[in-house]
Amino acid sequence: MLPAAAVRLEAAGCITGLGDTAATHAALLRGERALALSPVLGAEGGELVPLALGGGRNLDETAPPNWLPLVQRLAAAIPAYEWGSPTRPVFVTSSNFGVGSLYAFRRGGDPGHLAYGTPSLCVEWLARQLGWGSTVTTLSHACVSAHLGLTLAARALHAGLAERALVFSFDFISPFVTGGFHALKILNAGFPAPYADRPTGSIGLGDGAGFAVLSRDRGEFTISAQSLYNEMHHFTANRADGAGFAACLGPVQAAASGRRLWLKGHGTGTLEAGRLESAALAAAFPEAPLVSWKGSLGHSLGSCGVVELALAVESIRTGRAPGTVGGVAPCFTPQVALESFSTAGHDGVVCTSNAFGGAHAAFLLTHA
Amino acid sequence: MTRERLRDRFPKGATRRMTQLGLLIGAALDDLVPRYDDAVVYATQYGETRALEGYLDSFPAASPTLFQTSIHPSAVQQAMITRQQPVGEFFPMTGRGHLVAQAVQTSLLSPAPRVLLCGGEERGTWLLTRGVASDRTFAFAVALTAEPGGALGRVALRPEDGTGGATEFSLPDFFEALKARQALDRPVGPGARLILDWT
Amino acid sequence: MPDPLKTKLKQLIVTTLKLEDVKAEDLSDDEPLIGSGLNLDSIDALELVVTLEKEYGIKIKSSEESRVALGSISHLAEFIRSRADPARLPG
Repeated sequence: MLPAAAVRLEAAGCITGLGDTAATHAALLRGERALALSPVLGAEGGELVPLALGGGRNLDETAPPNWLPLVQRLAAAIPAYEWGSPTRPVFVTSSNFGVGSLYAFRRGGDPGHLAYGTPSLCVEWLARQLGWGSTVTTLSHACVSAHLGLTLAARALHAGLAERALVFSFDFISPFVTGGFHALKILNAGFPAPYADRPTGSIGLGDGAGFAVLSRDRGEFTISAQSLYNEMHHFTANRADGAGFAACLGPVQAAASGRRLWLKGHGTGTLEAGRLESAALAAAFPEAPLVSWKGSLGHSLGSCGVVELALAVESIRTGRAPGTVGGVAPCFTPQVALESFSTAGHDGVVCTSNAFGGAHAAFLLTHA
Repeated sequence: MTRERLRDRFPKGATRRMTQLGLLIGAALDDLVPRYDDAVVYATQYGETRALEGYLDSFPAASPTLFQTSIHPSAVQQAMITRQQPVGEFFPMTGRGHLVAQAVQTSLLSPAPRVLLCGGEERGTWLLTRGVASDRTFAFAVALTAEPGGALGRVALRPEDGTGGATEFSLPDFFEALKARQALDRPVGPGARLILDWT
Repeated sequence: MPDPLKTKLKQLIVTTLKLEDVKAEDLSDDEPLIGSGLNLDSIDALELVVTLEKEYGIKIKSSEESRVALGSISHLAEFIRSRADPARLPG
């Protein structure tokens, strides 16, 4: 829960099941949903569950991975510096990396998939594809992975180890991860409705990749404070008193004092976590409208922090934040914004993510 | 064998879902008595290999336990959750030839009063026959602090020009150096030299 | 006369969840399965669900439904009897 020092955000972008940053943002404003019912195990069938695959790709992996063109398209939008050189390090964050390739190998037997199957092999291959140097650090902590990348990048900048830093996050779904969440009974036939007070919870899963370029002194936006906390209470449940959420939000709340904020929450569509999360956010930031976009995009796992950062930036730039697409009343708290709203009059957004093991992460994004 | 050797170090019944790597990392961390204001940095190239193998083999009726256990950074979470030990900062890292350098750098960048740098691997079975798993099981944990009193040694990461990307120093090699209390003064990654000496 | 389905369920619980030092016959019919002296949690419940779905061809749709079904051995037996093909039940 130690806050990281402020850094400037020079650029951010993402790709989702709805397209690039601008296309995704516009579609969210229209209330569109990227999620569609698809067989949980792809070609092997199974129950229909809400998934959002990018660029028309298939859930079943190819060799090389069929998400490469999407990553290349995203990478074309990254400002061109000598990424991966010692003063321009890259911080890669993901939860799945190429695990879809390992699944494809085990099910189909084609050893061609193995070259992408481990995190290190996958990242090294990706670095070659994108022309990066060797100063590439890889972090993986499920759904808070991207926040860790942002925190570590900020520290490298402040320590004088980098002039600029690229945080690159990607997570492309496969039967490995859809099968797992289905076995946990939270990916089921129901579409997610983040923060909805209803009898059954459900999530959707979606492809996502994003980038953020951080520097000490250039950029329209500032990541003013970052915070991390790990409850280590249970793999899939939070402490019932919400103390974990509060512990993470505390430092950001202090940094945001006096600001009129809106909130981009984690909000996957699960019940108990959604209840605790929304209550903690309402307590820390009363009256701040709260949105989650996972009801449309699905949960993009390790990449969600940076994907949703890019969409938050787009919201501030365009003056309009999409509401909680897929959400339905009644909600856990009155702060949940089901409809889009103007970001004018707000001078910052707090973005949060949470992960298995009771991991929490948050940052405050403001104009520079 | 690992389970039998280590199960009494954990609460009754806690080890039935723990992996070899989780047991070893847990035992190593336990000796350092983790505190809420510590930072934890965890380095592993392959993570929970046996859970990954088991999970992949459980399809089409995917095992939720093995799915959960296979997700990085399960080993440290297994250990800390059995102790109900919260921690502020936790940086699980992965990589290959430069992983040690990156983990040490992450540790040195943390403002926490103490950083627990830990790591390890778990020997694979069918993934190993395909060359995508570790061929040995090991784990380590060290406590890093700016306080000099009572230290076993000193670690520093110095910038060094001209090493490029060619220099690699693997996690198993780091483990061996720690185990043998071996002094190190060598390039470990692009622009980085690791100094490790023992008192 | 012991209920053969409950006996089978107790055996499945012990083997699926690798309950060291627990004998199937010592499990109580009516004690809560989750959050009681067995120290089982929600992940154990879900692992059990996978086994039960395979064994009896039933479907449990959500985590909320699994919580209800796994209230106790007696609850679970009743749930399975209401959903499974009788030909797949023991005895």
